[in-house]
Amino acid sequence: MKDLAKIEKWKLALNKCIRCGYCYEHCPIYKSTRWEIDSPRGKLILLYGMLSGELEPSDYIASKIFDCFHCNRCFKACSSGVPLQDVYNDARAFFLESGFDVVGTTSMTDHDACARCLNCVRMCKHEARKFVDGKIITDRLKCQSCGSCLDICPAQGVTIQHGFGTNPNELLNEVHSYFSNPDNKDAKAIVFSCGYSSYPGLQTAQYDKFVISNEYKILVTACSGRLKSNTVLETMERGAWGVLICCCPEDECEHGGSPRVKARMKSLTSSLERLDINPKRLQVVEVPQGNPAKFTSAANAFMEDIRNIGPLV
Amino acid sequence: MKSVDIGKLKAIVGETNVRDNVADLYVYGSDSSVHEAMPNAIVRPQNVEQVQQIMQYANGDRVPIIPRGSGSGMCGQVVPVQGGIILDMKGMNRILEINPPDGYCRVEPGVVDDDLNRALKTYGVFYPPTPASSCVATIAGEIANNASGGRSVKYGAARDSILSMKVVMPNGDYLSFGSSTRVAASGYPLERLMVGSEGTLAVIVEACMRFVPIPKLRCLGIAKFNVLAEAGDAISEIMGSGCQPSMLELIDKIAIIAANKAANLGLPEVEAILLFEADGMTKDVIDAEMAKITSICEKHKCFGMESSYEEKERARIWAGRAKLFPALSKYDDRLSSTSLADDMAVPFSKMAVTADKIHEVAEKHGLVMTAYGHCGAGCMHTKILMDTDRDFQWEGARDAVAEIYDFVRSVGGTTSAEHGIGLSKAAAFRKEKASSLELMRAIKRAFDPNNILNPGKLMDGPDDWVEATNLRYQVSKAGVQ
Repeated sequence: MKDLAKIEKWKLALNKCIRCGYCYEHCPIYKSTRWEIDSPRGKLILLYGMLSGELEPSDYIASKIFDCFHCNRCFKACSSGVPLQDVYNDARAFFLESGFDVVGTTSMTDHDACARCLNCVRMCKHEARKFVDGKIITDRLKCQSCGSCLDICPAQGVTIQHGFGTNPNELLNEVHSYFSNPDNKDAKAIVFSCGYSSYPGLQTAQYDKFVISNEYKILVTACSGRLKSNTVLETMERGAWGVLICCCPEDECEHGGSPRVKARMKSLTSSLERLDINPKRLQVVEVPQGNPAKFTSAANAFMEDIRNIGPLV
Repeated sequence: MKSVDIGKLKAIVGETNVRDNVADLYVYGSDSSVHEAMPNAIVRPQNVEQVQQIMQYANGDRVPIIPRGSGSGMCGQVVPVQGGIILDMKGMNRILEINPPDGYCRVEPGVVDDDLNRALKTYGVFYPPTPASSCVATIAGEIANNASGGRSVKYGAARDSILSMKVVMPNGDYLSFGSSTRVAASGYPLERLMVGSEGTLAVIVEACMRFVPIPKLRCLGIAKFNVLAEAGDAISEIMGSGCQPSMLELIDKIAIIAANKAANLGLPEVEAILLFEADGMTKDVIDAEMAKITSICEKHKCFGMESSYEEKERARIWAGRAKLFPALSKYDDRLSSTSLADDMAVPFSKMAVTADKIHEVAEKHGLVMTAYGHCGAGCMHTKILMDTDRDFQWEGARDAVAEIYDFVRSVGGTTSAEHGIGLSKAAAFRKEKASSLELMRAIKRAFDPNNILNPGKLMDGPDDWVEATNLRYQVSKAGVQ
C-alpha cells in the first residue's frame, strides 16, 4: 500500500468542503442512483475518511472514486472552491499505484473481441488509449468516460462497466419500459440528450420523476457520439414516432462526438428516406451547455413535426 | 450499539435498497454540521408499507431510526449518535398532486424543494418556505426542521405552509394529521407539532402544503451602510413601521468579502448591506413599499442605494446570498466555515446589538464570525471561520457558542430560527426551554415510548457538543501554534 501523500495534500480542500450537498443536483451519477456515496460530496467524504483512518482503502471505495463522467459540473458549482476533479485525479492515481484493479466508468477493451483496427486509439481526444504489445490499453487516469470509443469500435469490443443508464442496452431497456407502460398512452418520442451539454441545462428545467411532457421521454447518453444507428432504429421499432438527439455545438464538444453523431444520423436519415420514412422523424439539434430554453424550443418544434407526421406504421 | 438484522431489512425493501458497507455508512454518518457518527445500516424505503414494516421491526428490536432527506442540515440532526438505521427517504420522491382549485399540493417526503417549485411554476404558484439550500433540501427535511428562507418575512416558514400530513408511527401505525382545508379549528394541531420535531416523533411519508400565487413583479433593492448598528436599526424600523417586504436580508462585511470571492459579485465591501425586496401584482404598490423602505434606510445613513425590477440583475445579486453559506469557506485559505451558533432569532430591535455582540465574542476568542440572515424575519445567521485542525480553536468555539446563546436569551431571542437544534445547539436549546423540557419528553414518550426515533437530539441532546460525537475534522491535539 502506497502512503496517502497524494490525498493528504488536499486535506485543506477537504476541510473547506462544508458538505452542503449543493453539488448533488449537478452530478449525473448521483442523479442516476440517488445514493449519497455516488455524489461528489460522498466521494470527498470517502477520501476524508481514508485520511482520518476511519476508512481503509478498498475496492469498493476505489470504484466509487472512478465512477465519474468527468463533466466537472461539481467543481463549477462548488462555491467553497474545492477543486474536485484535481482531488479525484490524485485519489485515482493513489488507488492505481496501490495496486487496485479498478474500472468504474472507464472504458475497457475486451482483447478477445478487439480487431486491432486502432480506430479507438486514433479517435480518442484524451489520448487515453494506447496499443501496447498487441493490445489496446486504457490509461485510466486519462479516460474521461465519454464512451466515444464504444461507438467507434467495429468489433463491439469496448465496454463501460458502470454505465449509470448511458449504455446502449440500458437506454433501450428504458425505451422499452416507456412505450410498453400502458400509463404512457400519449408517448410519442424519445429525446436522447448529451450528458455534457443539454443535460446540465435540463437539470434546471425538469425533474426526473416529474414529467414535463407526457409525449416524450428524455434519456441521457454520455457523449452523444455514443449513439449508434442501431439504437435509434430500435427505439423506433419499439414504438417511437420519432427521435430527437441533442448534442453539443461542435466547437464546445470536448469528446469529438458531436460531428460523428451528426454524420451518422445524416446517413441514417437518407436510409430512412429510401424506405419512405419521413426524415423529420429523426432530428439532431445542437444545445449549448446551460441553455434549457434552447432545449425546450427545440423539443417543442420537434414534437410539433412528429404530431403532424403521425405514428410510424 | 444495537446490531441490526440486515437480512430482515433486505426482505422488506429489497436487496438493492439496503446498504451496510462501511464506506456507505461513513458517508451517511455526517451532514453539513461538524459532527459524525456511524450508523449500522442505510435503508431506502419505496413506499408507506415498507416504512411501516421497518418501524415495526425497529420498534420490536429497539433499533434507532434516523429519517434522512439529503443530509444538508447544519446541526447534526441526522447524525446517528446511537447508531441504528438511517431511513433514506429520497426513494419516495413523487409529486402526488398539484391542486390549484383547492390551493394545495401533496408530495412524498423525498421531493427536492426546487423540483417541487419547478413543477408548481407551470401553475403560476410557488411553495414559499424555500431555504437557500432548496436545490438539495427535501420537503420532509424542511418540515422536520421548520425551514424557512429569504421570503419567509412575508410568506412564513414551513410550519405556516403545512396543511396536513401522513406519518408512520414508531409502532408502524399509519396516521393522518391535519386537514387539507385552509382552516381547521379544533383539536391539537399534530401536523404542526411535527414541524420542527427533527425526526423524533414519527416518520413523515406524505405532506400536503398550501402554495401561493407567484407575484407578477418583484423589485430588489440594495442599501449599503458604514456602521453595522445603523443597518440593524433600519431593519427594526422597517419591520415596525408596517412595511411588508418580501425579503429583507442583512449581510455583514466578512460575508460580503466571502461572497465576492466565491461568486465574483463585485459587492461593495462596506460594513453591512441590506438586501430588500417587495413583490406584488402592480407596480405602484411595490413602488410605494420600496419608497418607504428606502426612506428608512436613508434615515439610517445608508448610501449607494440601488433597486431593480430586472430579473437578471435580481438573480445576480441574489445568487451571492444563496451561495453565501458555502462561500464563507473562501474568506481565508487557512480557515474553514463551520456551522456553529449558525442561527438564532432575536427581536427586530435587538438585531444591531446581536450583530455587534457576535463580532465582540469572535474577537475575544480569536475566531472569525459573520452576521447575516433573513433579518426581516428576525433571523440572524453566523458562521465560525476557524482553523478546524487546531484543538484550541474548538475550545474557543465552544465558549463563543455558549456566550452568543446566553446573549440571545438575554434579549428575548430563541436558539434556532430555521436550521434546527440537532446536536450542536442542544445545550442552548435546553437552557432556553428549561421549563418545558419535561412536557416535551412526555410528548415524545406518547409518540415513541421506546425512544427509537432519532434518539439523543433536541431536549435529549448533549450538553457539550464538542465531545458529543467525533468531529468531522481531524483535530490536532498539538496545542497552540
